[in-house]
Amino acid sequence: MVPWLAGIVPFGLVIGVSAAQAHIPTLAGWLSGPLIYAGSSQLATIGMLDGGAAPVVVVASALIINIRLIFYSATMARYWRGTPRWWRLVAAYLIVDPSVAVGLDGYQRLSRDRAHAYYFGGAVLLWVCWLAAIGAGAMAGASLPGWLHLEFVIPLYLVGQALSRLANPAQRRAVLAAATVALLALSAPLQLGVALAIAAGLTAGLTAQVRR
Amino acid sequence: MSTWIVIVAAGLGSYLFRLSMIILTSRLTMPPSLERASGLVAPAAFAALAAAGVAAACGGLGITGAFAPLTAVAAAVIAVLRTGSPQAAILVGMPTLWVATALLPS
Repeated sequence: MVPWLAGIVPFGLVIGVSAAQAHIPTLAGWLSGPLIYAGSSQLATIGMLDGGAAPVVVVASALIINIRLIFYSATMARYWRGTPRWWRLVAAYLIVDPSVAVGLDGYQRLSRDRAHAYYFGGAVLLWVCWLAAIGAGAMAGASLPGWLHLEFVIPLYLVGQALSRLANPAQRRAVLAAATVALLALSAPLQLGVALAIAAGLTAGLTAQVRR
Repeated sequence: MSTWIVIVAAGLGSYLFRLSMIILTSRLTMPPSLERASGLVAPAAFAALAAAGVAAACGGLGITGAFAPLTAVAAAVIAVLRTGSPQAAILVGMPTLWVATALLPS
């Protein structure tokens, strides 16, 4: 889990900064951590609320981004059959990209009981570090001077993340289509542009996969 | 008030996603198209948010005002493509923004 922490802590700081600089209560931005608990979805939620998007559009966009959690849920379900219900309820809450990756590693190497503990320990550590990073970012973001232009950290972070996901033609099409539609739909009402852009990216990417 | 409701609703929906297949897995199988789409959500979402974020940062600044943020984005793009590291976008982009802003005060 430690290598993952090095990657997620800066992301948590970015989200904390965005929460502090958005026109929403900072506590609400921080609460997106324990409630939504998925970075890209939190960032979209905070950004769209800051932009004045309609509530239903924000929730729909957050859930579209989090649809991958259904697949993670299916992946982990096979290992968690027979565990107590309370354990599954808590373990499911902790499902997110790094905890699933670390958990799967544990289930492939360890006995079932030890792997449960391995998943749970890593996932709780991740959760604590994530919330601490968002809190630190929120406090720093509210007190740092304006000339630092910290509001620009978020678009730059997103540029980096988008460009690092160009591994195959489907992803390249998805990125290109989503960015293009986002720019074309800047003046769309209710901040629908981002949701439309994500849908366009998915469609373009799926079309590429079908043609191959 | 709606801010809190939105965050709670998005959180509740996300938790139901996490729990969904753990409860339903014995009764349902995943459609292949949905499975393919899952690998494309993150690239599409990051690209959409990045483009909208950069446009918002440059909006209303005019050509001169937008020079610094656009230069920073260009430097970030080159840095990420050359290094392969997403962190390079911030490490190169932010100093570029500060220098470009200092060189071209609005």
